[in-house]
Amino acid sequence: MSGARLREIALGVAGTIAFLAAWELAARLGPGSALFPPPSGAVAEALARLPLATVADHVAVSLGRITAGFAAGAALGVAIAVAAGWYRTFGNFVRPVVELLRPIPPLAWIPMAIVWFGLGEASKVFVIFLGAFFPVLTNAYRGITGVDPTLVRAAQTMDVTGVALLWRVMLPAALPDIAVGLRVGWGLSFGVLVAAELIAADRGMGFMIMNARQTAEVGVIIFGILLIGLATLATDWVLGLAIRRSVGRWHPV
Amino acid sequence: MHARTAPAEARPKIAVRAVTKRYGAAVLNGLDLEVAENEFVTLVGRSGCGKTTLLNIVAGLVEATSGDVLVDGAAVTGPGRGKGVVFQAQALFPWLTAIRNIEFGARSRGLDAAACRAEAEQLLALVGLAGYGDRYPAQLSGGMQQRVAIARALAQDPQILLMDEPFGALDEITRIEMQDELLRVWSTRRKTVLFVTHSITEALVLSDRIVVMGGGGIVAEYPLDAPRPRSRADARLAALHERIWEHLR
Amino acid sequence: MRWVDRPWFQGTACLVVLLALWEGASALGWLKPFQFPPPSRIAAASWEMVVAGFPTGTRIGQHALVTLQRIFTGFALATVAAIPLGLLIGRVPALDQLTLPIVTFARSVATLSLLPLALLWFGLGETSKVMLIAYACFWVMLTNAIAAAKYVDPVLVRAARTMDVRGPALFFEVILPAATPRLLAGARVAIGIGFMVIVGAEMIATVAGLGALIMEARTFYRTDVSIVGMIALGVLGFAFTAGLAWLEGRLLPWHRGLAEVRR
Repeated sequence: MSGARLREIALGVAGTIAFLAAWELAARLGPGSALFPPPSGAVAEALARLPLATVADHVAVSLGRITAGFAAGAALGVAIAVAAGWYRTFGNFVRPVVELLRPIPPLAWIPMAIVWFGLGEASKVFVIFLGAFFPVLTNAYRGITGVDPTLVRAAQTMDVTGVALLWRVMLPAALPDIAVGLRVGWGLSFGVLVAAELIAADRGMGFMIMNARQTAEVGVIIFGILLIGLATLATDWVLGLAIRRSVGRWHPV
Repeated sequence: MHARTAPAEARPKIAVRAVTKRYGAAVLNGLDLEVAENEFVTLVGRSGCGKTTLLNIVAGLVEATSGDVLVDGAAVTGPGRGKGVVFQAQALFPWLTAIRNIEFGARSRGLDAAACRAEAEQLLALVGLAGYGDRYPAQLSGGMQQRVAIARALAQDPQILLMDEPFGALDEITRIEMQDELLRVWSTRRKTVLFVTHSITEALVLSDRIVVMGGGGIVAEYPLDAPRPRSRADARLAALHERIWEHLR
Repeated sequence: MRWVDRPWFQGTACLVVLLALWEGASALGWLKPFQFPPPSRIAAASWEMVVAGFPTGTRIGQHALVTLQRIFTGFALATVAAIPLGLLIGRVPALDQLTLPIVTFARSVATLSLLPLALLWFGLGETSKVMLIAYACFWVMLTNAIAAAKYVDPVLVRAARTMDVRGPALFFEVILPAATPRLLAGARVAIGIGFMVIVGAEMIATVAGLGALIMEARTFYRTDVSIVGMIALGVLGFAFTAGLAWLEGRLLPWHRGLAEVRR
């Protein structure tokens, strides 16, 4: 590892430690530690109040929801984008409807989702689905319609037309844009998941935090916030890695 | 139309008959051209003289407003089917490695996977890139990319090879190397070639016949029978260079 | 092109057909009015929201204003702090490296997960919501400001130096203008996120504002009003994207094609 890289990491670590130390100090010297616990206190309180199994359960439920919603949203987003890009007429029908619905924040759909699907899993998965659907659709559409015409012409000179052209040339060419859409969509889905769980759930990481508010267990709340932040980072990192290893081999990511 | 039943050997490989193309104004006006089998013909002219348009019409990528184009006696109705094209740049599929790009060309012949791979490797070696097969286009220099592009076009085992300023995006030195490369490859796998360039020198080094275009038609034709490889400093070529230059001014 | 094939015709026709089908299905009793209020009902509710309001007295304009005020106050607070700080960090590599892990983590925290904390610290009033928006916008604007300062074309800086432009003058005459396109792109993202966050926050903790409206109306079985609220949000969101695009065009006539700033 080069000297410059080591320096980068060292500074990063130093900065984090300095931040945590400042937090610790401010908490101990500051207002009542009940409302503003130091990082050490927060984690300790959380682990004392919540058995690890419960936390694991909440995390699992949350991840299950977001995976289901995201998978559905991404799959449908790509499918519709490809169809809309390939069949002009379908695209002309679908685009206005999409453009009208897109500016509505996914969270705004929650009350109607509850009306349609009740208070169970389906309503939450639906809203998460919306969170992923629009970014993936937008980016995939841009990818499919933005394919370099030279590539299409080259394929035609090699007798590749019709569906084969779509499958072997246009879809791969659209992959970098689709990858961006997936990444953005995942981030949005996560935010939507948390919100949905705060508003209307009885399990999950968001619920864990909201529940702790009733009893003012600030430690648990902070622990929950940090946990969600970590989960977001970790999943985004994994997604980024997968993208780098696939699309990243032939396209700058 | 032409109902001649000339014997196949005398029949031109490419026959352009009274081709006109209008984009509002006429870019090509009743143009006639014939290219014999295995002949290397170059089209030169100023930008906008219609040389690329003509190439695209022969390739079947563009439809003529009127007139016929016949390849091997059969009318051209669309791209593909034995009309290999090498574009100027950015025509390699970025998500495929070099060898897979070449295989893509071979697949159009309906060969099975193993045969495609074998053919691709042979062509990769022919263009001097053995060992670079697993690189992606982004990892290859401009000259290397064009070599792969040529290999890919050859992988189709095309009837004719159409090249649209294939070395136009390269620097001078690489360009000269590529011209020599092309001649070497062409001597091994001889094809009928229709080549477009705006470089007179390039045309002089490569061609059996130079066709000078302008005003929507052909201004002059210069057959060359000097043996290849030709010295770029040759006095006779310099004289021809001057004459062609006069046409283009 | 035959006019039947024109995109705008096909698009409009599709919309009209869908709305007609919806209305028809509702009239025939196939769709329950509570679950799928027909377009006619929604149109009536829109009018009601403009004149009478829901809960009675709070018109749609007022709800929208409340929501917008929260977004913009939060955004303004965040921007005022984030831009100078970000530009500074961007020009001092050591600072950038020191703060990178914290900034990355703080950005990854789901803003709405902070809501319970904000409610405990700042109570149920405006402050907690504004703080939440400010938090979300701050990290976006900070990251953008850092990148904007960091990626100023070094050729520009070198050119300026050869003309004896240094220090504060360099900052205000070169760095800042060069950074502006990216900052504006960041503002667009930040406000978008602000919209998302406020809707969620309002659903939990208030009675005024568009998010609250959508939630409240449902509990009173006025799903038609809920949908009006959703439409209002959509219109506002669209107006802002368009408005910011216009602003960018006016402020930066020299900069074409603002690239989308990636996360």
